[in-house]
Amino acid sequence: MPRPATTAPPRAQRPSRSSRPSRPSRPSRRAFLQVGAGFSAAIACSALFPTLTGCTPADAPPQAGMAFLRPADVTLFRALLPAIASDLAAADAATRETRLAAAVKNIDRTIAAMDQNGRGELRKLLDLLASTPLRWAVAGVRSPWEQATPDAVRAFLARWRASRFETLNAGGVVLVKLASVAYFVLPGTWAASGYPGPNPAVYRALHS
Amino acid sequence: MAIDDIYSAGIASGWKVLDAATFTAPRTLDADVAIIGTGAGGGIAAEILSEAGLRVLLLEEGGLHTSNSFRDMDEARAYRDLYQEAAARATADGAIAVLQGRSVGGSTTVNWSSSFRTPPRTLAHWASEHAVTGHSEADMAPWFARIEARLGMAPWAMAPNPNNAVLKRGCDQLGWESHVIPRNVKGCWNSGYCGFGCPVNAKQSMLVSTIPNALAHGATLVHRVRVRKLDHDGKAVHGLTGEALGFDGYTPTGVTLSVRARHVVVAGGAINSPALLLRSGVPDPHDLVGRRTFIHPVNLSIAEMPELIEPYYGAPQSIASDEFQWRNGTTGPMGYKLEVPPMFPGISAGVLNNFGDALRREMAALPHTNAMLALLRDGFVPDSPGGRVRVADDGSPVLEYALSDYVWDGVRRAWLSMAEAQFAAGAKRVRPAHLDAAWYTSWPQARDAIQTLPLKPFRALLFTAHLMGGCAMSDDPARGVVDSQGRHHHLSNLSVLDGSVFPTSIGANPQLSVFALTAQNVMSLSARITA
Repeated sequence: MPRPATTAPPRAQRPSRSSRPSRPSRPSRRAFLQVGAGFSAAIACSALFPTLTGCTPADAPPQAGMAFLRPADVTLFRALLPAIASDLAAADAATRETRLAAAVKNIDRTIAAMDQNGRGELRKLLDLLASTPLRWAVAGVRSPWEQATPDAVRAFLARWRASRFETLNAGGVVLVKLASVAYFVLPGTWAASGYPGPNPAVYRALHS
Repeated sequence: MAIDDIYSAGIASGWKVLDAATFTAPRTLDADVAIIGTGAGGGIAAEILSEAGLRVLLLEEGGLHTSNSFRDMDEARAYRDLYQEAAARATADGAIAVLQGRSVGGSTTVNWSSSFRTPPRTLAHWASEHAVTGHSEADMAPWFARIEARLGMAPWAMAPNPNNAVLKRGCDQLGWESHVIPRNVKGCWNSGYCGFGCPVNAKQSMLVSTIPNALAHGATLVHRVRVRKLDHDGKAVHGLTGEALGFDGYTPTGVTLSVRARHVVVAGGAINSPALLLRSGVPDPHDLVGRRTFIHPVNLSIAEMPELIEPYYGAPQSIASDEFQWRNGTTGPMGYKLEVPPMFPGISAGVLNNFGDALRREMAALPHTNAMLALLRDGFVPDSPGGRVRVADDGSPVLEYALSDYVWDGVRRAWLSMAEAQFAAGAKRVRPAHLDAAWYTSWPQARDAIQTLPLKPFRALLFTAHLMGGCAMSDDPARGVVDSQGRHHHLSNLSVLDGSVFPTSIGANPQLSVFALTAQNVMSLSARITA
């Protein structure tokens, strides 16, 4: 798979073991990764200092109509979907909105059906990405998700998937999987995958 | 044309089928035998025990979904209604995706219908290494034959679909072994939709075969009920406690179900059976419950073919190759079986795990796409100890599965085999399902590149659809949770009859192994109870 040219080589950010730790008051990407555990350390920070980092409070309710996703999560996935499913860019506004809403709904239902362990891991990941300092520091995305361009989002995904930190790889893989599966199961997208729909002869016989 | 969904008429004629989502007050039920789980183990057990005249109670966490809801032939609906965790189940760290059924009929409702006898080498290994008795090739032969007849299993007589034909052609070109897969179907329409619930009730899942027969013999089925715990005193089980789930299939309603039973059969499958035993605190002096859980780790290779494949249509699995399964013996470097998966848009996106224009191009090529998979045979050597099931705070199961160098070596060799077969079959280009893999346009290019792919979780996309072990059988109580007949070593009236009793993985799609072993063991249980 060719990596976008915008991918920052992960090793460029790898701190040397002898370098002095950054001061914790400077929440740069480098500082967090330098803690040594990358994602896990960042998550620990977000759990310890939710008010400082702007994390969603742990008891924030899901967005209306959703079972799991909070408003900030919905915003994130609405930014991820056009970056992952790039044919959304060519869709007219009404189609685009219909598909985004349906795909986000699919993602919500899927996560809501997960057991405690899976839901808990997703919650940590989504809270991290909802936090402004951690979005900057760990995801390397400067603009809020609702303003992030598809190219910027793809660069973020490519960085995480190319990282030497397994946990960032995991985040990059699970976000792509959730969004792409939720999108391509939508009947409206079948033309984009060349899928003619349910086996025509059998379907016709069953519905005649 | 309308397809008889079997259950509407059955319920109208008096079948006892209860949806726990409708319960508004606590219930207490009595039975001779309570069976937890309605998949390959529970379904076979229910039929044999109810035919013996016993009062059987079947308890199922998933919902009752029949061909009436399968007729939409829709991928999203199937994942939501018929799979554990809406098909998003995974190992604890998320590195291996787990496809496992969750509805009446369990995984038999959604599997791809491959029906292999347990390989003789696997049975011999269990006898020699795991103190398993009574399940030799000769012992099992009549039980395989009985199930094959009961469920219409026979090698697929039609031509393989183009996706399977790629595997056949690749093997033929290279002089590799391949064979036609036996399938459990009667009057199959060759639609390709086995994984979404057979829309024409041709696949002989438990949903349309043994469970209706058990109900006709007076069994009771309660669905959308989650069994929380076995009530026991350290010597015997007295009953069990369950919680009703709501119409969403997941949220407990707060209504409890109490069951009193003379005998309890645990058949929730690997992952859920050991989790129930762990939640219940059953005696486990050797710390065995949940350990040695095997998954047939699966890796995949994707090929773009010159011809039209339409990998979504036609019997999903009809050709397999054991060329690399036993060539190093039973306990050499990891063996694997080669097959193909059906590729619908959703599962394809999950396997491709790509984004942007690269994903758009790959999805657009789906009609010409072949995917190949390897089932890696885990559990036969000390370097392949399998995973471990634990329970989370709320009692839900968590599967940890560490990938050893032994497994990674098998993963790499399997990618090589698959790419070689795909190019031999005429592939224009091939990409292993790995974050660092590119599209390779020749076998030498692929061979060199695959040799250097980093073998790391998440970079390698791994899957499993075969959950085995966790309540291993062995006549030695220090090595097995149950004995060779599925009897718990410490609780006298508890049996485990499902894939969780396998001491290793099978080395082939496991449904017939579960069916036949359960049939054999439940016959001896029935004889003991009715004596």
